[in-house]
Amino acid sequence: MVRVLVVEDERKLAQVLAAALEAEHYDVVVAATGEDGFYRANAERFDLVVLDLMLPGRSGLEILHTLRERQIDTPVLILTARDGVDDRVLGLDRGADDYLVKPFALPELLARIRALLRRGRPSDQLRLKAADLELDLVARRVIRGERQIELTTREFDLLEYLLRHQGHLVSREMLARDVWKEPRRATPLDNVIDVQMTRLRKKVDIDGPARLIHTVRGVGFVLREGEP
Amino acid sequence: MSGWWSGASIRVRLTAWYMAVLTLMLVAYASATFLAVRHEFREQLEEQLHHDLESLAGGGHPEPDPEARLQQQLREIVVVLVLGLPLIVILAGVGGYVLARRALAPIDHLAAEARRITAERLDQRLSVPNEKDEIGRLAAVINDTFARLDASFGQLRRFTADASHELRTPLAVIRSIGEMGLRDTRAPAEYKEAIGSMLEEVDRLTRLVDTLLRLSRGDAGTIRLSLDILDLGDLARDVAASLGILAEERQQQLEVAAEANVRVSADRVVLRDAITNVVHNAITYGPAGSTIAMRVEADDVEAALSVADEGPGIPAEHRERIFDRFYRIDEGRSRASGGAGLGLAIARWAVEANGGRISLASSGTGSVFRITLPRSCVFSTNKNPNGA
Repeated sequence: MVRVLVVEDERKLAQVLAAALEAEHYDVVVAATGEDGFYRANAERFDLVVLDLMLPGRSGLEILHTLRERQIDTPVLILTARDGVDDRVLGLDRGADDYLVKPFALPELLARIRALLRRGRPSDQLRLKAADLELDLVARRVIRGERQIELTTREFDLLEYLLRHQGHLVSREMLARDVWKEPRRATPLDNVIDVQMTRLRKKVDIDGPARLIHTVRGVGFVLREGEP
Repeated sequence: MSGWWSGASIRVRLTAWYMAVLTLMLVAYASATFLAVRHEFREQLEEQLHHDLESLAGGGHPEPDPEARLQQQLREIVVVLVLGLPLIVILAGVGGYVLARRALAPIDHLAAEARRITAERLDQRLSVPNEKDEIGRLAAVINDTFARLDASFGQLRRFTADASHELRTPLAVIRSIGEMGLRDTRAPAEYKEAIGSMLEEVDRLTRLVDTLLRLSRGDAGTIRLSLDILDLGDLARDVAASLGILAEERQQQLEVAAEANVRVSADRVVLRDAITNVVHNAITYGPAGSTIAMRVEADDVEAALSVADEGPGIPAEHRERIFDRFYRIDEGRSRASGGAGLGLAIARWAVEANGGRISLASSGTGSVFRITLPRSCVFSTNKNPNGA
């Protein structure tokens, strides 16, 4: 079982994180102070550490720095309330593997964690599938049942992203950054994403036996068989 | 000494200077006069002695001790000068002091008036007794400063009020949905609906806070721009490509006509944001089926990108404030389109941060937003742009 250490002093947030990670079948340990977090990360073996930067006692950056000095290479995802470039660079320089700015969306956190845990294992999938939908990355072709679907480049990238996160929620932030390669989400881009998603859904779901792409209100989108 | 000097009022300092200079001049004048008179008397004395010697040789009576008489006369002159000089200086000093006080009195008055004008009473102005003299000009300059302060304070106050309104609206929605949700036991689908709608508001709130943070960083000047040499035409086509799908949805034509090699030095991400917001604005307010024309042109010094729509135009009374934060012409309509009224404010900030300006020309047949930037000094395409 994958073990995850969550170092977070805000009690409510720590509880929600633990619940969300347990729902994904991770084994979760919560540390509420910097000292406790440092002690556990040092003494036990984890597959991943989610580390808040602003902690009482011992700051997240200090913990990170000491861990790396002691040659402990557990992947670390840092959470920070400050989104200044300097804070990010500092965190990544000290050996963090990824960062998220509060307030973050849970689907995004989960996606980042999956990516970090997958790291080092090349994804050799050349075909992505969901129900009767199949996407061929080499031929850049999409087939649903017997029907071939013509997609624009953007629609193809979008569908590929949804398929790669199959069964998991995908937020607009994630799409903006990973599919549109925009550094920041803004109103115009939100509108573009929504229109693009509507078009993709029309092409993919119009003749299908069941809908695959679902909108989850207030959160984002999910590609999944059956109900969202 | 210097402590006393800088501590004394201008009035006292002026008078002291005046008296010192006057004393020096008078002393010099008196000494010169005294020396000239003495010289004259000496010559007279020589002549007298000569005359006496001749008359003595002729058997006449000489004057009784002419030298003593001369000394006596000179002493009298010195006494008059020494006593008179301080008197004149004192009299002139008193006169100078009174004059200086009268001349400087309006400044004290000005200071007293200015002291009454505080942040809460910035609409008040100093009285200007005579616009043409130095004091009048000073008062006019101070009044000008007050007017500018008044305007920025007003803007700040409006901004704070608008910002708290915008922040409270989603908070109120979240709260009431939460309260309603807890009132009775409901079907799972209804709970999902309620939670989804709360999350939508949280999302709106998050984006609003992000945008406000960006604007305030821009105000504080803490955003570092990474300047590059950019082709404005490429940037325009890039924005058109990314927003094209929105125009398509509304059956609008989004056209780009760009002169070749119009280069500007700007931060790509920031400037692209500005153009995106202006074009998005045109797509949102341009009627379905209309044309939005983007145009890039340049003269020797400036490069310009204009975005023209065929919308209803913007009435004159709104044009001044259209770039203000949270300013909306039609409250309901732009809220429904998802904006908080910050798009054009961001655009203005982004353009100005890059050393340009943004303006609006509008008539009943549409609006033209124009972004003007100083043209980059690199003209030729085959030069290495980084070497500029």
